[in-house]
Amino acid sequence: MCLGLFTGSVDKLTAAGVIISGAAAMDMKVDIYVLLQGARAFKKEVGDDAGKLQMAENPALKEEFMQSLKNLKVKSWVEFFREAKEITDVKIHICGLAGKIWGGEKLEDFIDLADDICGIGAYLSSAEEADINLFI
Amino acid sequence: MTTEELQKLNVTKSVDARGTACPGPLLEAKKAIGTIMPGEIMEVLSADEGTKVDIPKWCTKQGHEYLGTIEESGYYRIFLKKS
Repeated sequence: MCLGLFTGSVDKLTAAGVIISGAAAMDMKVDIYVLLQGARAFKKEVGDDAGKLQMAENPALKEEFMQSLKNLKVKSWVEFFREAKEITDVKIHICGLAGKIWGGEKLEDFIDLADDICGIGAYLSSAEEADINLFI
Repeated sequence: MTTEELQKLNVTKSVDARGTACPGPLLEAKKAIGTIMPGEIMEVLSADEGTKVDIPKWCTKQGHEYLGTIEESGYYRIFLKKS
């Protein structure tokens, strides 16, 4: 699976987390390319801090949404990504340009889950070879 | 398999995923399958509707044998045999 992760919003990141967890359960190899808005969510100072993330849809329902996740004992998006990485081959690449837009220059500026910083060529080569391509 | 047959199975591993929501049960099944031997039987307990469909499909993909499901009060018991 090749996932183009454009979103930096908490609802879409949660959905992406569930999807790659499913992929991990199926022993799929997953390549994640963190693009534009996504790079902000992967910054060390943002990450799991839901207060710093917005909703992509139904922004007025954010509090209700977050409470619902808590009631259902749903993990945070970072925890989903972390667990998937532990179970199967998941690589997380941060788009260099996207990183720079949000002030991230080096790999150390991002959460420990990020494996490397890449360019558009890497994303497209991976997309070409993948059996499943997603863009969230 | 019938409910009676399922209830009589010698279950090697019981995975209680009732406190978790999707994808919890599937991930618990994936982690637990590594702890049993081929030919042994695992049951997954889940209160999540989706798991009833997820586990059989997962079995097909991973090559295990889905045996059947018993619906208890408020949760499902899903049986499979590791290949």
